[in-house]
Amino acid sequence: MGILGLSKLIADIAPHAIKEMEIKNYFGRKIAIDAYMSLYQFLIAVRSEGSQLVSVDGETTSHLMGTFYRTIRLVENGIKPVYVFDGKPPDMKSHQLNKRAERREEAEKELQKATEAGDQESIEKFNRRLVKVTKVHNDEARQLLKLMGIPVVEAPCEAEAQCAAMVKAGKVFASATEDMDALTFGTNVLLRHLTFSEARKMPVQEFHLDDVLKGLELNQREFIDLCILLGCDYCGSIKGIGPKRAIELIRQHRSLEEILKNIDTNKYPPPENWDYERARELFLEPEITDPKDIELKWTDPDEEGLVKYLCGDKQFNEERVRNGAKKLMKARTGTTQGRLDGFFTISTTPNPKRKAEEDKKNAAKKKKASVGGGRGRKPK
Amino acid sequence: MFEARLLRSSILKKVLEAIKDLLTQATFDCDDNGIQLQAMDNSHVSLVSLTLRADGFDKYRCDRNISMGMNLGSMSKILKCAGDKDTVTIKAQDNADTVTFVFESPNQEKVSDYEMKLMNLDLEHLGIPETEYSCTIRLPSGEFARICRDLSQFGESMVISCTKEGVKFSATGDIGSANIKLAQTASIDKEEEAVVIEMEEPVTLTFACQYLNYFTKATSLSPQVQLSMSADVPLVVEYRIPDIGHIRYYLAPKIEEEES
Repeated sequence: MGILGLSKLIADIAPHAIKEMEIKNYFGRKIAIDAYMSLYQFLIAVRSEGSQLVSVDGETTSHLMGTFYRTIRLVENGIKPVYVFDGKPPDMKSHQLNKRAERREEAEKELQKATEAGDQESIEKFNRRLVKVTKVHNDEARQLLKLMGIPVVEAPCEAEAQCAAMVKAGKVFASATEDMDALTFGTNVLLRHLTFSEARKMPVQEFHLDDVLKGLELNQREFIDLCILLGCDYCGSIKGIGPKRAIELIRQHRSLEEILKNIDTNKYPPPENWDYERARELFLEPEITDPKDIELKWTDPDEEGLVKYLCGDKQFNEERVRNGAKKLMKARTGTTQGRLDGFFTISTTPNPKRKAEEDKKNAAKKKKASVGGGRGRKPK
Repeated sequence: MFEARLLRSSILKKVLEAIKDLLTQATFDCDDNGIQLQAMDNSHVSLVSLTLRADGFDKYRCDRNISMGMNLGSMSKILKCAGDKDTVTIKAQDNADTVTFVFESPNQEKVSDYEMKLMNLDLEHLGIPETEYSCTIRLPSGEFARICRDLSQFGESMVISCTKEGVKFSATGDIGSANIKLAQTASIDKEEEAVVIEMEEPVTLTFACQYLNYFTKATSLSPQVQLSMSADVPLVVEYRIPDIGHIRYYLAPKIEEEES
């Protein structure tokens, strides 16, 4: 999902574009969260003894547990979250969705086999692979968020695209998702691992699109072509071209059209009926609601409503739910810490010395590559 | 070649104590005039600005301007190895990737040197606009440290309100509320113990106690502290280090929640 190998490519070529931050540094920021992605995370991760949490009727409640407590954690850190839900998938994604369905079927078969064999480890593994965010999950999460006083945005199509549009319009500070294609859609700032469990102590990764483009030496359009070449959700990619080749080709030819003209298509056959143009169109002009028409409003949590909704059938502990509601309420009162950024002008330049060293390194690498046969031995 | 020598290592030790809670790493910019350091904490709420003038050093030589990125935790560890009365010399070659600290005991019988790797930090240039402040308050630094410590028991934030009657520090929290009022000292016998208020317009601002408590780590550097405030701009907390320079902290105020 997302863009194949993009995060690794950025980490290799443009490491300055990625910053590791603590969650508390985002106080006062409005952040658009990809709801599908976080619900999926919760369904996978929020478990007790390997199985999902369930209500009296055996319905899953992992997604509600996750949404409730992790949203509270964000709010306690001074963040103002907005959840963005997916609309209908774009037609171009049907291929990808079919593939996913196939994989699920496979996993189901494997699960059956494992159950017959009584292989506990495999059962758990395939169980996780079968996890799917359903409409019911979405609706329940939406209702819960409403009770918590957290705004929800319905994207007409892909949530990442909607998040990106809201960042670009200055409605929110960043998009939070694990999907790297938020950058392809043009979000200025992408946060990963924001909704991860606190226990994992995972720092939040902050990607800045400007720095990514600068580091890769591409413009946004070329970056989109690079992402298509790496492999996106909307169309196939050329077999035999990995991330390294992809960035080299884009830097050399600057567009997919030029690349197709210049590479040996017998050696690197593009997929049949390769509709990269429409995929590019989808990234450039996705179907979104105009951010101007979106009003974000955070309201007081409805404590009684939350208790009624979560306790009882869904078996949440009443005391903990009430405590959660109080935390949400407390975060709404009081003052917010300001930042110095608005008062002082800040310009960051990479250390010139380090830049020189890196250039030297790159030059050495290139030299090595052209000589060839230098595999497996490091210089020095 | 860069070389700076201080007769007393204690100043450098105290400076580091005063900044290492806010910053984990920072760049020391050295030129003819002296050593400068300017950096914001990670969350961009506060800024530290340190100046050590060349004439304050016992010996100072800087052939070419250099910027040395240092890990302040490591630097602090090294400085802890120096005795308070030791002389300290900071040395670096032009374009070096290490810096050396040499400590000499007063009787010259013990000489130790510590070499530390430098870090390649991005250079942050901060443009701090010249501001005329509506209020400046000078008070004994120990008094200010005490006020910050006492009030932080009551709440996360502290309101500083300056009027022509004096200056009031207050905090409110679960256990109750606290108010401390200081009036201008009537007769100044000892300058170090005086409270002096210059005010053009009354100002009331709210700040996070946690940061103020980080700032007061500089208390031992100076007998007096100066607070400068204007509406809606960062607070400046300045400690003058006798004969050599100053350390200034900037802190963004807390703002009332916009009604959305």
